[in-house]
Amino acid sequence: MTTIARPLDERPTRPRRKPRLSGGGRDAWPLVLPALLPVMLFSVYPLVYGVLLGFTDAHAGLGVETHFNGIDNYVELAGNGLFWTSFKIGLIWAFSVTILQFLASLGLALLLNLDLRLRWLARTLALVPWAMPPVIIAIMWQLMLNPNYGPVNRALGALGLPGDVNWLGESSIALPVVIVVGVWAGMPQTTITLLAGLQSVPAELNEAAAIDGASTWRRFWHVTLPALRPIITAITTLDLIWNFNSFALVFVLTAGGPGGTTMLPSLFAYNEAFRYGNFGYAAAMGNVMVVLIGVFLFFYLRGQMRRRLQ
Amino acid sequence: MTTSTSGSKPGRNPFARPLQYLALLAYMCFLAFPLLFLLSTAFKTSRELRSPDAGVLPESLNWQNFTDAIEKADLFTAAGNSLLVAVTTTVIVTAVALPAAYALVRFRTRLRGLATGWILLSQVFPFILIIIPLFLLLKNIGLVNTLLGLVLVYAVWALPFSLWMLQGYVAAIPVELEEAGAVDGASRMRTLGRIVLPLLAPGLVATSLFTFINSWNEFFFALVLIQDPDMQTLPLALARFVGSEGQVQLGQLAAAALLACIPSLGFFMLIQKRLTAGLLSGAVKG
Amino acid sequence: MRTRIGARAGAAIAIALPLALTGCSAFGVGGDDGDGATLTFQSLAFQDTTIAATQDIVDAWNDEHPDTQVELVQGSWDNVHDQLVTQFQGGTAPDIIHDESADIMGFAKQGYLADLSPYLSDEVTGAVSDDVWQAVTAQDGSVVAAPTLLQSYVVFANTGALADAGVEVPAGETLNWDDFQTMAKELTGDGTYGVGWGMKQPTAAVMNLALGFDGTFFTGEGEDTQIEVGENELAVPERIHTMAYEDQSLDPVSLTQSGSDVLPGFFDGKYALYVAGNYVAQQLVESAPEGFDWAVLPPLAGTAGAVQAANPQTMSVAAESDHVEEAAEFIDFFMQPEHQAALAEGDWLIPASSEARAQVAEDTAGENGWEAILASGDGLSAAPFQAAVNYPQWKDQYATPALQQYLADEISLDELKTQLVDGWSELGL
Repeated sequence: MTTIARPLDERPTRPRRKPRLSGGGRDAWPLVLPALLPVMLFSVYPLVYGVLLGFTDAHAGLGVETHFNGIDNYVELAGNGLFWTSFKIGLIWAFSVTILQFLASLGLALLLNLDLRLRWLARTLALVPWAMPPVIIAIMWQLMLNPNYGPVNRALGALGLPGDVNWLGESSIALPVVIVVGVWAGMPQTTITLLAGLQSVPAELNEAAAIDGASTWRRFWHVTLPALRPIITAITTLDLIWNFNSFALVFVLTAGGPGGTTMLPSLFAYNEAFRYGNFGYAAAMGNVMVVLIGVFLFFYLRGQMRRRLQ
Repeated sequence: MTTSTSGSKPGRNPFARPLQYLALLAYMCFLAFPLLFLLSTAFKTSRELRSPDAGVLPESLNWQNFTDAIEKADLFTAAGNSLLVAVTTTVIVTAVALPAAYALVRFRTRLRGLATGWILLSQVFPFILIIIPLFLLLKNIGLVNTLLGLVLVYAVWALPFSLWMLQGYVAAIPVELEEAGAVDGASRMRTLGRIVLPLLAPGLVATSLFTFINSWNEFFFALVLIQDPDMQTLPLALARFVGSEGQVQLGQLAAAALLACIPSLGFFMLIQKRLTAGLLSGAVKG
Repeated sequence: MRTRIGARAGAAIAIALPLALTGCSAFGVGGDDGDGATLTFQSLAFQDTTIAATQDIVDAWNDEHPDTQVELVQGSWDNVHDQLVTQFQGGTAPDIIHDESADIMGFAKQGYLADLSPYLSDEVTGAVSDDVWQAVTAQDGSVVAAPTLLQSYVVFANTGALADAGVEVPAGETLNWDDFQTMAKELTGDGTYGVGWGMKQPTAAVMNLALGFDGTFFTGEGEDTQIEVGENELAVPERIHTMAYEDQSLDPVSLTQSGSDVLPGFFDGKYALYVAGNYVAQQLVESAPEGFDWAVLPPLAGTAGAVQAANPQTMSVAAESDHVEEAAEFIDFFMQPEHQAALAEGDWLIPASSEARAQVAEDTAGENGWEAILASGDGLSAAPFQAAVNYPQWKDQYATPALQQYLADEISLDELKTQLVDGWSELGL
């Protein structure tokens, strides 16, 4: 090993300072290539293909040919009431879950950042939902909310309240219930990120404010929160995207029912492709989802940027 | 942690502390209750589950549900598949992401901007756009309905995030340490092996854990790409179990669900502290 | 140069690893063995008894045909449609496909199913009524499946509860819907309901039972299929609605649950009557508490008699299979009366084959509700909805949500009608 190494180090002309650290792109390529190649093949290529598929009439069938059909899919989609209903449900779901998740996680992160006893236990528990596959979370909550034997109804019954509500089976309440499950499932990532942010807020800032006699609430509002803003923007943005695209949890929990009231757009597009075999049309739905979410994110992030610059 | 942010000074508000504990307790109930319920359900007999006045705790430790669930839902095959897929994915992703992350941080290259852009972009696209072409692609190379196909897909989709996290850890290692090694005349590989790698170890653990758990939990790709029951992963087996027998066999369902989260729960418990620290640097410095 | 070498080695390993794994059969790649044909048969049997019966038939075939082995693969009713779409598209469909007639006609139209008519023997063809054959015949006249077992909806009664309430177990050939409603009212008491009916997926039950009121829903064939929703079509949902919200003799919560969710309530005496597919009889035999006596009531009859739609389970062959002929021969073997009888007894379903039906009647001597179950089989006839190509999508996207809302008392009968009709015209691509 050392024999090969020697000539390299004996090169006298090479300056000592930053000998290879700024070695330029050429040295980086062989290291990056193994990561780049599979990513190109299995994610860039499918993605470009998928976007293009949204402009074709691809559908299931033995030996069917696929043709580009321009914007036909989008014209049809514009008149597809069910898709827009589903899109609206997706927005309600994504925003409610993200906002509630953020508030709940912020509260928990603040508590975990205090010097409380049992903090280690709470911190471990806060991670638990993360360790559980979404499918299992869905199964667990199905058991919890079972109309006949679930503990939720039992507890309500014991309190003298109506104990026979079918939480996931009644169209007026299924979506809010599913949202609560979504909040539960997504709390760990948000909590941990916010906790990390809290711990990186310089203590001096708070101490200075405390000396000035600012109340706890004022310090939180004027010192902690502004310092957290970049992290809050990042995590809420990610949460929103993740939630809008989420699939497994609701697929197992309600499969979009009852009466289509929990039909998230990702489920809707899945059905279009893998139940009814309209692959091109389903990809078009995906494109519409990307564009609309992209537009929203653009304005949200730009707004946050401006605020930070002010 | 004496420098707590909202640091309520003693005597300021006598109710603050009790209220804080109350809030913490409420959070702990919300987070832990479903899990405890799952645990108790898994040990209950079907008679206990149906009786209207059964207690919160099972009458006895009844392992029947576990053995039945393992047998009926074919959990062992599924768990084996899941483990194989998750471990292989983790190994591949770590092996590929580590040099790439190092190169992206240490060499000034335009690749870095490109990579970061892709990492963010890849999060926005709904899976439905990717899955159809991916399915057709894997079909063409004969990997539909195989665990290898699943490994490839998971690896590719775990890569961006792993790269992102690892970049944070690499950036956290002072360049001066490496330079010092170089000054001492150590070869680059040596410097990397002796100095950089040990410092990266916690970050590597956190990153590979993240990859492992994501692959272990993944459902959507498996749902579309795997149809053969012999090939199905744990989430798939469980989702199908709910559809058929699980509806009536609540105890078995709970037992199966519990078994399926043991590996990741165990990991989390073990490295809970380190994970939090690891994510901190990944999230903040990345 | 060291870095380059090291990096290249790393790169080579990273690239070679997956390739090396390709050779590993643990990943499910490769593993094609030897000569002779191996056929895969994806069965959806889910009750232990039927799984065993299916395995027995496959074993018998494998013993007789060493060159054409059949491998049994377990599927699930829950996701069979999505799975078949994916399998056909990916070219990984099993050779022999188990499904139901209302679900497969779309696949037939897409060209994925082979025509079985040249391969089925005369005995098999002759044992099944023309009406049922019609349910598995595509528009171009090709027979895309062999019909195996039929399901009908039956009323299970807790005879103990009936005796306590002083209600007689109805005898007679059929049970009129009016009498059923009266009976339900008589059985409704304090905290208990006369009827529990799991209607989480209401469309199939409504479509099948509607035939008893001449409710056919569709006219015409193929692309020209038109929908018609009138009094006859709406009779069944309207009656259920009346029972749940006017008579309060049917538990409305049960309407939002699946059949198996409601079953425990039937065992606990919460409901004296329980409406479900006849296959549930197997679960009653297996898991009813001790001392629980039950009976199957005579088939429900509407204005058109005790008619229900025949939506048989089916056995098809994938058109892309390399062994269509052998697979069809296996289906012919599977259709033998003794095999069908064994399957039917396992699932408490009605064989499409008349010979198998006779065999079941003989084997069971009509005990355990078999008499009423077999009797309900006489009233099964083809319904137009099975031939409607867009039926599965209409069912998912329009009919099921609309019926769920109506049965939850959220929309009126008129709105239900509008949604059903408009939904169909939305799909009229």
